[in-house]
Amino acid sequence: MHVQISGLEFSYRKASGTVIQNFNLHMKEGEIVSILGESGSGKSTVLRLIAGLENPSKGKIQVGSDTYVNGQNSRMLPVEKRGLGMVFQDYALFPHMTVGANILYGLKKWKGPKRKARLQEMLTLVNMTEYKKRYPHELSGGQQQRVALARALAPEPALLLLDEPFSNLDAHLKQQIRDELREMIKYAGATTIFVTHDREDARVLSDRVIFLDKGKVQKAGRSGDLLQESLYASERERELTLLMD
Amino acid sequence: MPFFKSPSAAALGWGSGAAGFVILLLLPLSFLLYRMIQPAGENWAHIQEYLLLGYTIDTLTLAVIVGILSIALGTTLAWLVSAYSFPFRNTLKWALLMPLAIPPYIGGYAYHGMVNYTGFVQRTLRNTFDIEVSQRYFDIMNIPGAVFIFTIFLYPYVYAITRAFFARQATTLIENARVLGSGPVRTFFRIVLPVSRAAIVGGVTLVMLEVLNDYGLVSYFGVQTFSTAIFQTWYALDDLDSAIRLAGILMGLVLVFLVLEKVFRGRRQYSYSSAKVSPLKPRELEGWKKWSTLGFCGTVLLLGFILPMVQLLYWGMLTYEAVFSAQFVSLVRNSTLASGISSLLVVVFAVIVANFTRIVPGWLSTITARFTVLGYSIPGAVIAVGVLSFFIYIEQRLQFFYAFSGISSGLVLSTSLVMLIFAYVIRFMAVGYNSIESGFEKVGRRYSEASRTLGMGWLQTFFKVDLPMIRAAVFSGFILVFVDILKELPLTLILRPFNFETLATTAYRYASDERIQETAVPSLAIILVSGAAMYIFHIFIEKEPN
Ligand SMILES: Nc1ncnc2c1ncn2[C@@H]1O[C@H](COP(=O)(O)OP(=O)(O)O)[C@@H](O)[C@H]1O
Ligand SMILES: [Mg+2]
Repeated sequence: MHVQISGLEFSYRKASGTVIQNFNLHMKEGEIVSILGESGSGKSTVLRLIAGLENPSKGKIQVGSDTYVNGQNSRMLPVEKRGLGMVFQDYALFPHMTVGANILYGLKKWKGPKRKARLQEMLTLVNMTEYKKRYPHELSGGQQQRVALARALAPEPALLLLDEPFSNLDAHLKQQIRDELREMIKYAGATTIFVTHDREDARVLSDRVIFLDKGKVQKAGRSGDLLQESLYASERERELTLLMD
Repeated sequence: MPFFKSPSAAALGWGSGAAGFVILLLLPLSFLLYRMIQPAGENWAHIQEYLLLGYTIDTLTLAVIVGILSIALGTTLAWLVSAYSFPFRNTLKWALLMPLAIPPYIGGYAYHGMVNYTGFVQRTLRNTFDIEVSQRYFDIMNIPGAVFIFTIFLYPYVYAITRAFFARQATTLIENARVLGSGPVRTFFRIVLPVSRAAIVGGVTLVMLEVLNDYGLVSYFGVQTFSTAIFQTWYALDDLDSAIRLAGILMGLVLVFLVLEKVFRGRRQYSYSSAKVSPLKPRELEGWKKWSTLGFCGTVLLLGFILPMVQLLYWGMLTYEAVFSAQFVSLVRNSTLASGISSLLVVVFAVIVANFTRIVPGWLSTITARFTVLGYSIPGAVIAVGVLSFFIYIEQRLQFFYAFSGISSGLVLSTSLVMLIFAYVIRFMAVGYNSIESGFEKVGRRYSEASRTLGMGWLQTFFKVDLPMIRAAVFSGFILVFVDILKELPLTLILRPFNFETLATTAYRYASDERIQETAVPSLAIILVSGAAMYIFHIFIEKEPN
C-alpha cells in the first residue's frame, strides 16, 4: 500500500525534548525501506508512531486510503483498526499460546476454512510446519523470529513494520536469515519499513535507506548509492580503515 | 500528559474503573474528616481531659518498643541465616517466618494459658520442682507482656524483608568489607545495617502498623490503646462522635509514622540494578559459636511458633468434640464466604487500577496508586468507624426511598454483609494491588501492544493476553488477601451483621468469656490456612530464578 508520512513530530515528555522532528517518508506499494540509525536515534519511536502506539504532536500519516492521523487535534485511528503487521524487537510472542494460536491470533475475522488455509500457508512460508503445536519457549531465537514474522504477515497487513529483527540472533545465524527474510517479504508482497542500526542489514534487505540521527532524517536514497558513499560512520573511521589496509 | 492529550479508549476505559474505585475508597475517609469538624459529643471533654494522654502514651510505648525490638531480633536472625552456615540453617530460613502465621491475639491467648496459675509452666514448677512462684512474675497481661507477644509474632516482617535484601543486594559490599579485613561484628554494624536501612525501615513500619491496628491482643491484655478506646466509646458509651475523634487522632499518629518512614528510609542510594548479583556465601561456624547460633535461632522458633502451637494443639485435643459441631461448619462457611467475596473484589479492583497505572503513566496514575494502597496503613478501628458512620449517614438519607418502594422500614445496608466486605476491600486492597502490580511489571506492555497491532481492541486484549499472563500474580494476590481477612479482627467485630460469627470472632469470644481452651480449634484453623499459604509462597519465591 502507498505510504505517505509528512512533518511528523513527537516527544515522550515535554521536558525531555523532541524525539522525532519533521520526519517525512513516501513509499511505493511493495517497497522495502530501512531506517538506519544509532541506538537512541528514534527508530523505534517512528515505528510506534506509525503503528499508533504513540500519538504524534504534529504531522500526517496516510496508508493507502486510510488517514491514520492528521495533526494534533484530529482523532487518530486506533491501533487495532490500522491493519498493520509489526515484528517487535523481542518478538513478543504470546508465551501462553502455541505457535499456531499465535499466528491465528490476528485472523479473528477470517472464516473457518480460509483461516486454516492461511495458517498453513504462513507456516509453510516461514518453514515452521512441524512446530505448530510448540510453545514459544520451546523454539530457538531464529524460529521465534520466523513465527513473529508469520504472525505479523498472516492478516495481510497494509504495511509491515520490523523493529531490529536481528538484534536477538547470533551473528552466524543472522546472515542466512537475512536473505531468507527478504525473500519471504518479497513473496508476501508487503510494503515494509525495517529498522536497524546495522548498515549491512539495511543494504541486503531494503530497496531504499533513510538515515536517522537524533530524530532527524539526515540522508535518504537508494540503498546501494547511499551506503557506498557513507560506508564509514566518520571520516576518522575511514582513515583508520585505510591505514590498516 | 498523555491522559489529557486525546485519551485512548483503553485509557478512558481503565481510567473510569480506577476513578470509580478510588472515589468509593475515599468516601468513608473523607466522611470521617467531615465528621471530625462537627461539634463534639457529650463525652469528648471528659475523654480529652482524663483519658487521651493515657491512650497516647500506651499506644506509642507499645508501637515504639515493639518496633525497636523487632529490628534487633529480625535483623540479627536475618544476618545469622544469611552470613553463616550452621546445622538446620536451611530449615530455619523459612521456619523463622512461621510466627507470622499466628496472629498476635491468638498468640496472646496461648501464652496467657501457658503461664497463668493453672498453665503448664507453673504446674510443672509446682508439681515437679515444688516451687511456688509469685504471680507477679507470671502476669503477662500488661504492657511488657504485650510487647513480648507482638515482638515474637511480628518480627518476621523485618526478618523477611531484610533477609531478601541481604540475599539480593548486599553481597558485593559485604564481601568487600570482608576482603578489607573487617570482622563479622564490625561488618554487621558498620556495613550491613546502614546499607539495609531502607529494607529495615520498610519492615519495621509494617510491624508498627500491625501494632496500631491490633485490637484483639490489647483488649484481652487490658492495655488501653486507641483501638480499645475507639471500641469502648462506641460500644460502652454509644458515642460515635467521640469514637470518630479518637479515630482521627490515631490516623494522625499513623501519618507521623509514615512521614518518619520516608525520612529514615532516605534515598534508595544503595540499590544495585546490575543483573548478576550472586547470593552471599555463608561462612561455616565452628564449636560453641555453631551451637549457640543454633540455640538462639531455635529458641526464637520455640517461643514464636512451637510452644504456642503445642499449647493450642493440646487444648484442641481436649475440646474438639465440644467445638466441632454444626455451628463450627457455619463458622468456616461464614469466614470463607466473607474472605472469598472480599478477596475476589480486591483482585478485580486491583487489576483495574494496576492496568490503568500501567497504560497511562504519569502523575495521575501515581496518585491513583497511592490512594489505592492507602487502606493498609489505616488501623482497622479507624476504617470501621469511618465506614460505619458513612453507611448510617447514607441510609438515613435513603429512608424515604426505602419506605416509598416498600423494601424495608429500617436499615438495610448497614445490617448486611455489604458494609463489612466494603471495609475489607479498603483495608486489604494494597496487598492484592502490590502482588498484581508486580505481575504486570514483569510482563510489561509489549504483549498487549503486539495484540493491538494484530487487530484486537483493548478489552479483548486484556482478556486474551494480559489476564492469562498475570494469572499467577492474581492468584497469589487472592490468597494473600484471603489469609489476611481470615485473621482480621477489629473490622469484623464492629461491622459484621448481627449474629454473624467467623473463626476469628469466635476465638475472640471464647477468650473474652475465659473459655480459653475452646479458642484452640478456631485458632488452629486460621493458623493452618495461613501457614499453608506462607509455605507455598516460600517455595514459589525460592524456586523463582529472579
Ligand atoms: N517510553 C519512553 N519514555 C521516555 N523516553 C523514551 C521512551 N522510549 C524511548 N525514549 C527516548 O526516546 C529516544 C529514542 O528512542 P528509540 O526510538 O527507542 O530509539 P532507537 O529505537 O533508535 O534506539 C531515546 O532518547 C530514548 O531514551
Ligand atoms: Mg529501538
